[in-house]
Amino acid sequence: MTADAFIFWFLSLITLGSALSVMLLANPVYSALSLVMTMVGISALFVTLGAYFIAGVQLIVYAGAVMVLFVMVLMLFDLRAELQAFSRGQISGALKLATVGALAGLIGGALLLSAGNVAEPSMAEAAKLPPDASKALGIVLFTRHIFGFEALGVLLLVIAIGTVALARAKGGTHAKH
Amino acid sequence: MPSTDVFTTITLQHYLVLSAALFMIGLTGVLLRRNVIVIMMCIELMLNAVNLSFIAFSKFSGRIDGQIMVFFVLTIAAAEAAVGLALIVCIFKRFREVNIRFFEHLKG
Repeated sequence: MTADAFIFWFLSLITLGSALSVMLLANPVYSALSLVMTMVGISALFVTLGAYFIAGVQLIVYAGAVMVLFVMVLMLFDLRAELQAFSRGQISGALKLATVGALAGLIGGALLLSAGNVAEPSMAEAAKLPPDASKALGIVLFTRHIFGFEALGVLLLVIAIGTVALARAKGGTHAKH
Repeated sequence: MPSTDVFTTITLQHYLVLSAALFMIGLTGVLLRRNVIVIMMCIELMLNAVNLSFIAFSKFSGRIDGQIMVFFVLTIAAAEAAVGLALIVCIFKRFREVNIRFFEHLKG
């Protein structure tokens, strides 16, 4: 077994295990910690795929900023007694699981059907992606996708203003009484 | 003796199956859990699964555009988490509860 195959199986085991514990653990704090582990595993998978810049951004944005936000909100609430962590209805629960199973079957079938059609990368195609793709990523981001980048900046500004407005509004988090 | 290529050579399909499994776990969590914060976490999980398949396609087709898309998705996900958590704090202030059982009737 080669090294990269071993690394892939190890990382996928960690990622799937911690993703399962996000879903299954009744205590939300444990769920948040498992989610951090999942993010780190996915970031390592990005490294194995050669996307170093995206892996770093994933670590900083998700495992750093977003998870700090989640844990802060969890700390604001008093969640000692978590009653009824899961949906209770037997029939609706079975229906939901059947929905998930049907979607899994669809995706699995699509993967099986497309297994022969997805072309393996030829050497010429693989050569197009440089070993360190960060420079190419920056060039493409600031030339071909510059409009999307600017729109993203506007969106972040709107989000920041909207969150403050949400906090100051009547019934919001920091409303004046 | 059966071939062990499935375990020793990692192809695009491996990453796609892993991404699909992560997406399914997130979807199950969104459907089955009752805590709003855990539901948000499962949504983040589903977004990450999609990111993984974007990066895998980008690597195996030799084009950089998948990574651009992941960059956009990451930013949108961070913004969505900020707004969603602010809304959850508002809901918690009003209902004193984060279990979705208690606020299924939102009337102004």
